[in-house]
Amino acid sequence: MKRLRLACILILTVSPWTSFGGVRHFTFLYEAPTSAQESLELENWVTWQRITNPDRSDEVDFRHELEYGVTDKFQVSVYLADWFYESNREQSGFTYSDSAIELIYNLTNPVDDPIGVSVYGEVKAGDRLIELESKLIAQKNFGPLILAYNATLEAVWEGNELEDREGEFSQAVGVSYEISPRISAGIELLHEFVFPEWRDEEKIRNLFVGPNLSYRHRNWFVTVTALAQATDTDDEPDLQVRTIFGIGL
Amino acid sequence: MKLKRLAIFAAAIVCLVDLSSCGTTSFAPPPPVTAELALAGAHQHVDLAALRKGRTLFVSRCIECHTLPAVSQHSATEWPRLIDEMAGRANLKSTERDAVLAYILVAHSQSR
Repeated sequence: MKRLRLACILILTVSPWTSFGGVRHFTFLYEAPTSAQESLELENWVTWQRITNPDRSDEVDFRHELEYGVTDKFQVSVYLADWFYESNREQSGFTYSDSAIELIYNLTNPVDDPIGVSVYGEVKAGDRLIELESKLIAQKNFGPLILAYNATLEAVWEGNELEDREGEFSQAVGVSYEISPRISAGIELLHEFVFPEWRDEEKIRNLFVGPNLSYRHRNWFVTVTALAQATDTDDEPDLQVRTIFGIGL
Repeated sequence: MKLKRLAIFAAAIVCLVDLSSCGTTSFAPPPPVTAELALAGAHQHVDLAALRKGRTLFVSRCIECHTLPAVSQHSATEWPRLIDEMAGRANLKSTERDAVLAYILVAHSQSR
């Protein structure tokens, strides 16, 4: 505990003179610009989800991510740990989920080019879990307005012998408006198609929508999004709130 | 019903944000480095390469944290302080910081 406190004090003391990976205006979408070359940032994610259909349960997911700008157009991130707290009728407690590596390459600029585009790849591995994810990230900036779009394809293998397979295709759209140099507000919409066992006939459709708010100051930022489910899918969250806190190291 | 409520809520936020910006905001990208801007730069002893580099850095590094303000949004005396405040966070080396500032000041002089 003493060491953790010391580390926090060190980070907060040193960081005002250090570089910064970048602010997130959205939490369920990625943006096209990548981190500046040689910048390093720590991001902490917390996502709370409430499911009420068919039974009520709560889950809080945590992620600790280090983001590094290899060049101005190429960014590497390491998810040091994804873990979660689960509370339902049968059990409650913390569980380690996985770790991952994420690569993002920026192709075009959202201010100068007609559309800013980046490509994203992620490999995740955990306790009886392997996941591959690819993403196309598009963005356009109009003055203080940011429009973003993500198309994501995900493949998951789970279970003792990784026998359970699942695919997911999701699309997300977001709008963020910079109200002042420090504050942005907007909306995010997430549309998911889940394919259990990669079968089209069993597909599950989810739609989530909700507002976001982002605040940045010096070398840190915090962004919060609250998404409500607009569909009535079993075992999917009715409400989820995600907070990302980032600090330049 | 649920979807309709959410759509109305989302539309209300968009309208609110839109109204708040009406008539006060520039949605155009920063001015490109044209022959005219290069000439203005030459008068201020800023070469073409520095102007181009400054603009490229302005539209790439600065948008990692925030959207780009119009160059006319701040005065020529305010810009050096603002750039100095953010140069570290944007990981700008001193020559890069100088190029960004030079581009902004030349573009600013042409924006009036």
